[in-house]
This record gives sequence, C-alpha cells and structure tokens, in this order.
Amino acid sequence: MSELNEQQVALISAYIKQHGIAQNELHDDLLDHVCTSIERQMDEGKSFEAAFEQTIKLFGPGGLKQVQQQTFELLTEMNENMKKVAFSFGLTSTILLLAGTIFKLMHWPGSAVLIVLGAGSLAFVYLPLLLWHKLKESPRDESMMHISGFVGLTLTTIGVLFKIMHWPGAAITLLSGMAILAALYVPLFYFKKYKSSANKSITLSTGLVAMTCLILVFGLMSVNRSTNFNRGILLVGAELEDSVDKAANNEALYSKLEGNRNAVALKSTVNKSSAILESFRLELISETEGISKEDAKNAKVYLLNGQDNFDIPTHILFGGEGEFSANTLITSLESFQTEILQVYEPEIRSEMASILPFDFSETYTFRNEQMDWANYHLRHIPLSGVLSQLSKMQLDIRNAETQALLYLLSQSAVSESPSGDQGASEAQSL
Amino acid sequence: MHKNLMYICLMYSNELIKGTLKTIVLSLLAKKGRMYGYEITQHVKEETDGKIQLTEGALYPLLHRLEAEGLLDTEKENIGKRVRKYYRLTDTGNDQATSLAAEFHEFSQTMNRLLNNFSLKPSYNV
Repeated sequence: MSELNEQQVALISAYIKQHGIAQNELHDDLLDHVCTSIERQMDEGKSFEAAFEQTIKLFGPGGLKQVQQQTFELLTEMNENMKKVAFSFGLTSTILLLAGTIFKLMHWPGSAVLIVLGAGSLAFVYLPLLLWHKLKESPRDESMMHISGFVGLTLTTIGVLFKIMHWPGAAITLLSGMAILAALYVPLFYFKKYKSSANKSITLSTGLVAMTCLILVFGLMSVNRSTNFNRGILLVGAELEDSVDKAANNEALYSKLEGNRNAVALKSTVNKSSAILESFRLELISETEGISKEDAKNAKVYLLNGQDNFDIPTHILFGGEGEFSANTLITSLESFQTEILQVYEPEIRSEMASILPFDFSETYTFRNEQMDWANYHLRHIPLSGVLSQLSKMQLDIRNAETQALLYLLSQSAVSESPSGDQGASEAQSL
Repeated sequence: MHKNLMYICLMYSNELIKGTLKTIVLSLLAKKGRMYGYEITQHVKEETDGKIQLTEGALYPLLHRLEAEGLLDTEKENIGKRVRKYYRLTDTGNDQATSLAAEFHEFSQTMNRLLNNFSLKPSYNV
C-alpha cells in the first residue's frame, strides 16, 4: 500500500492553499481526501503525477475554490435568519443613533430616548450577534481577536452612551474599551493581516496608523478639563450663594420700618421674586440630576454629576413656554423691577430705574453672533453656570432691596423728626 | 450550470439526488460508525455499483454543515504528515438518520404506488 512522503503531502497542501482554501478545517479534509485518492490510484500502478492530475480533475470545473464557496453557502444558508436579525438590528441602531444625534444637535426633545435605544441595541444585540457569527465562521486561532474586538467595541459604545447621557462612570468605561481596542484588537488584527498580505510594508504602516489614531483619541480623552479651572468656576458660584444668604439678612432693617406700607410691599415683591428664582434653581438641579426637589434643595453644586451638562438646562429654559422657560423668568424679573420702583417717590423713579440691575432690551455679541439677553446668559450654558447666574440674580434683587430699604429708612427719619426741621427754620429766622 | 456539475452522479437526475444526499450520508454513518470523507465517497460508489457518485464538492460542504448543525462530531487522527478527520453521528444525528430513512422509505413506497396507478412501470423497486 503506497504512502505519500512528506514532500508530496506538503506539495498538495500548498496546492490546496494556493487555490484559495482559507478554512483550516476544509483544508484538512481536502488534503486527506486528495492524498488518499492518490495513494489508492498509486496502488493500482499509476504515477504520483498522473494520480494527482486525475484527482484534481474530479473536483470539476469550479475546482477547489468552489468546494469552499459551496461550504460557505451551505453554512451561511443555515444562519440566514440569524443574519437577517443581525442586519436589521445593525440598521435600526444606526438609524436611531443618527436620528438621536440630529435631535440632540437641534435640541429637540426625545434625543435621549433615541440614543439610549440605538446604543443599547448596538451594544447588547448587534455586537453579540456579530461576535457569534465571526466565531462560527473563522478559524479558532482568530477567536481571541474577535473577542477582544467585541469587548472593546461594546465598552466603547456603552462609554460613549454614558458620556452623552452624562451618566456616572462614562470615562472609565470608555477608556477601558479603547484601551482594549488599541492594545489587543488592532495589533491582533494587523498581525493576522500582516502574515497573509502581499505587500507587507503597506499593511504594517496602515496598522501603525490605526494604532496611532486610537492612541491619539485615547490621549485626548484623558486630557480632561483642568480641575483647577473647574474649581475656579464652581468657587465663584459658591461664593455668590454665600453673598445671597448674607444679603437676605434684612430683618433688622425691616423691623425699624414697622407699619410702613412701602416696606411691606417691598418685602412681598422681593420674597416673591426670590422664591421664583429658587424654584428655577430646584427645577434645573432636579431635572438634570434626576433627583427629587427635596434632594435638590440640599445639593451642593460641586458634587453634581451634571454640573457641566447644558442640554437639559437649555431644554428646560428654551424648550417651550412653560413654568420654567427663560421668558417666564424675564417676565417675573421685569415685574419685580416695576414693583420695586413704586417704593420710591415719583420724582426720582426715572433716576432709580436707570440703576436697576436687569436690562432685558440689550443685545449682546458672542463669537460674532448677535443675541438677546436670554440666549446670551442662559442658552448652552452648563448647569453650574446657569446656577451661578441665578445666584447673581438673587444677589441683584437683594441689593436692590437693601437700596430701597435704606431709602425708606432715610425717608422715615425725615418724616419722624419734624422738630429738627422746625429748629432749623427757627434758627434761620433768627 | 456549474452548480449542477457539483453533484455528479451517473445514473440519476440532479434533482433526485440533491434531496437525498443528507439521508445517504447520515444512514451510512449510522451503519458504519465513523468514516472519513474519501471513505464515504468510495463506499457510496461501491454500494450503488457506481450509480451514485458523491463528489468532493457536494460531500464536504454537506459534512461541514451537518457538523455545524450538531448532527455530526469529528475525531482527528494523524496519518503521517496529515490529519484525517473521522465523522460520526451525534445522538441528534442518530435520531435524524433514523427519521430520514423512515421518511424516505415511506416516500418511495408512496411514489411506487402512485407511479403504478399511473401505469408507468417503474424500472426498479425499493
């Protein structure tokens, strides 16, 4: 019984590979088949060459490659439904993500739902299906590559989702996902490509470029906003809040004006406006953080996760004409200014009006763009910034109140000392 | 056209053999235990006096698919410098083999009866 020597087996193996059989399992099958067939024919007295030629002829006009094609088709036919499911999930999540991004850019409501659904189906349905498929269709020595690609991509997707939604833990998820992609998937992928590629230097250079890009993004991501800069901004906000608390201590002055009708009116208009500003503050914190208004009352701005979130504040203030729209805020501050002017004598009202804190008719320029008061002060300003603005408004109200109180006090001092006046006139007449 | 040539068989039409390929392979393995690819082609050729010849292009894709479906298991053995893969039925494969064979028997009996009724003389009996 003939047995092929090592060299002949190597020759046949090379022939099979050269004719496009990439799958290891199929290669082994065909190699054994061809070898056995040749051995049997050699038993019958044929030469190796003749037997080889005869065996290859049996593969038909499509040759070896067609066997693989056929195998592939039969295997994929089986997975056809799976593929359809995977495809539709891939398409759906892409459309959802695209729509979500557009909604977000336009500040339309519903972007969050779209993005969460899109990224969720990408990370938890499409990518696992893809992995399952890849593991099934490719040789075992590639499974490490596919698994690392899957884990890396899933973590990156979830990280991006968390980042967009301003959920905690975004940075660490995103960074570990990208680290896995850069350290495992890309090297494994290009190592495999490098081994089988015809132009090795091109493959090597594209591989390096891909790595560098990932590492660059990775590096840019970890360069977070300077914490000192951040602290500076938050500190201003905190100090403003302190000043508001101090300025609100007006009880001593009010007690000296007991029975004064103007003082009563002043107190009520200030309290009303101050309460409105506080309600804006609580609404913004509770909506952005997703916490109750009770918790929002005690929240410290520097501890808020969403301190740099500007989508939700902008959506609340500019998303419609509700209780917490920027226009409502302006209206209530305007009526505050009208009411506080009533405290003063009619002769000096126009002078006092010019030193009132808010002027909503002014236009502002930012980055070559003309905008009104609300857009300039509140649109696309992160939560911490908006809160600082509200504190500044509180402080303005308190300052205006103190001014008015001092004015009322001086007025009552004049009216309460008619004897002094008389004395002066008497002195004059003398 | 190319595809048709993949299922070369000397006696029977392509349509006829295509649906029975799985039955042939599973039944053969049920009878013989474990076999490798070349052995299967040779066996089918001998048993059918050369009337049915499985080609590599038909056999190996089918074997791989049956393996993926969980009907077959493989065992590898080193033969000199190459690996020989033996295929054997799994439990599910065994059940399938039995039910496919039974189904085919019934089918051919039905066909026989039908063709007899049409007064077309079948050239062979199963």
